[in-house]
Amino acid sequence: MLTMARDYIDLKSGAVDRRIFWEQSIYERELERIFARCWLFVAHESQLPNTGDFITASMGEDGVIVARAADGRIHVSLNSCPHRGNRVCFSDSGNTRAFVCNYHGWGFGLDGSLKGMPEEKLYRATPGFQKKDWGLRQARVESYLGLVFATFSDEAPSLAEYLGDFRWYLDAVLNPEEGGTEFLPGVTRSVMACNWKIPADNFSGDIYHALWTHLGGAEPTLGQRGGVKIDHENSWQVSVNGHGWEFGTNMIGNAATMGDREILRYMKSRSDGIAARLGAFRRDMWGSVASATVFPNFAFLPGYFSFRIFNPVGPLKTDLAAWTLVPKNMPAEIKERFRLGTMRTFSPGGILEMDDGENWEHCTATNAGYVTRHQRLCYSLAPRGQEHTPDLPGIVHRGQLSDANQREFYKRWAELMDAPTWAEVPMAAATKPISEVA
Amino acid sequence: MDLATARMAARAAAEQLLTPWAQGTPVDDAQLRRIERFLYKEARFLDQEQHRDWYALLAEDVFYWMPLRENRQRRDSRREIDPDNVALFDERKADIDLRIKRLETGKAWIEDPAGRHVYSITNIEAFETATPGEFEVLSVFTLYRNRSLRDESTLMGRRRDILRSVNGDFQIARRLILLQQALLLTKNLSVFF
Repeated sequence: MLTMARDYIDLKSGAVDRRIFWEQSIYERELERIFARCWLFVAHESQLPNTGDFITASMGEDGVIVARAADGRIHVSLNSCPHRGNRVCFSDSGNTRAFVCNYHGWGFGLDGSLKGMPEEKLYRATPGFQKKDWGLRQARVESYLGLVFATFSDEAPSLAEYLGDFRWYLDAVLNPEEGGTEFLPGVTRSVMACNWKIPADNFSGDIYHALWTHLGGAEPTLGQRGGVKIDHENSWQVSVNGHGWEFGTNMIGNAATMGDREILRYMKSRSDGIAARLGAFRRDMWGSVASATVFPNFAFLPGYFSFRIFNPVGPLKTDLAAWTLVPKNMPAEIKERFRLGTMRTFSPGGILEMDDGENWEHCTATNAGYVTRHQRLCYSLAPRGQEHTPDLPGIVHRGQLSDANQREFYKRWAELMDAPTWAEVPMAAATKPISEVA
Repeated sequence: MDLATARMAARAAAEQLLTPWAQGTPVDDAQLRRIERFLYKEARFLDQEQHRDWYALLAEDVFYWMPLRENRQRRDSRREIDPDNVALFDERKADIDLRIKRLETGKAWIEDPAGRHVYSITNIEAFETATPGEFEVLSVFTLYRNRSLRDESTLMGRRRDILRSVNGDFQIARRLILLQQALLLTKNLSVFF
């Protein structure tokens, strides 16, 4: 069905073929060429402080166990027994010494290695059988400032190369102060009947929707001033390797919609400290009106510090999991305010998030129509050309009301879908010094 | 009230809702009947989107809580439901007012055309508590929602309320809502329970 994915994306006019949100054959290739090859977010290190701590996660449709082993390292193991294929771990989180399959009792270590099974002597008597050949399949695991990513691709570039200069921007939310960050306890999971790319492209560059979609949700906290305000001239879109971040520069614009003055007072009090650490530019990004996507499906909202993953479940369904990230050294009272503020705005019952899901579901469902899905969508908003600013890495556009990042998202999508190997995927060279540790 | 005081009050309310259930003396039949009437009236207000009438049933110090659920091993000694965890609702009265205001703006586009919903309240039990005039009330809710044509969901769960007797009627002083899903199988919670 799919010939060249780039035929589905017209970067010049910004036209995107709607069949990419619908067709099973395209989705199957996404699982192979995007989800089985990219670095995918699996955990925050703070979720696994001790040996034996584990969570379960999804990488595309592949279930995984993310566990901290006795060697202190985090291992990501395929959550499927190599003996008959049963799911091994059914808990969302916990602490354990081993994972035992329910079917025949094969037992695996925190590092995924096969430790033993009932009637093991029969296997010992079996010519050629070696336990070391039958552990849970291991993914490559790397971290950046507390965020743990994994990939099942041996040929993928390092996480550092994959993120490239996007790391420099990520520091605005991951490294605003000493001591690193943590997830608040609890993960909010919900489902949406939408294609996974619709929320992912939205977070990479679509603040435009907030002016209309979120009018009802923004008024109760922002007052009747027309909802979210965008300072187009003093705002940006930046993109690196398909990762996208659109942002204003007033430091607290997103946070303001939570309607909590103490949060804003705290954020203002951190202004000088963050500027000294990261410079004024990234200080202003910290909690501004903004959203971002790390390609393909990991996204976050500065200001609410809601971090979320859009996991595909077929071409027409997406599982959403969301966490709230805070600096470890943030005062407990302010953490508590973020816990409540993020819930009230960006969670399934949040006054802002509720208005998104319905749109995304119908952006997907309408493609059932043959005529409908053979129309192309308009990603052509480009009021200004690309900027060439020596200080800002990546593909930079001034003015956050633009489809620039979303076009870069689909450019990257097409590059990966068409590339038989990672060697054919263009990578932007990193130019910025990067934080070593938080 | 500063946040620390408010937080202490909320945590105390949460802990009250996590104590063992149904330990008090069952109320007599006449009182149970009054409590049932109150819960049916409340469900009717929600069915008919009489949000302000429903809001008036909440006590000024209401604690309204829908914690997240998680799949855990039975041997896991951590509390699945903890007041410090992120929740789906963790609200005081002013927070619920904010949510109703979203609906009142007339700009919550996804609510127009209106969806249809019906609440069924069953398994009602009521018990005396240590505080005269306050009752522990257990119930089960089924919320059927339908929007547009095929868009529908059914949410079912348990509630544990502390109802307070006020001027011959009741107010909701505490409400724990246990939705029996770890993965919320609906796209939003643009509803109250």
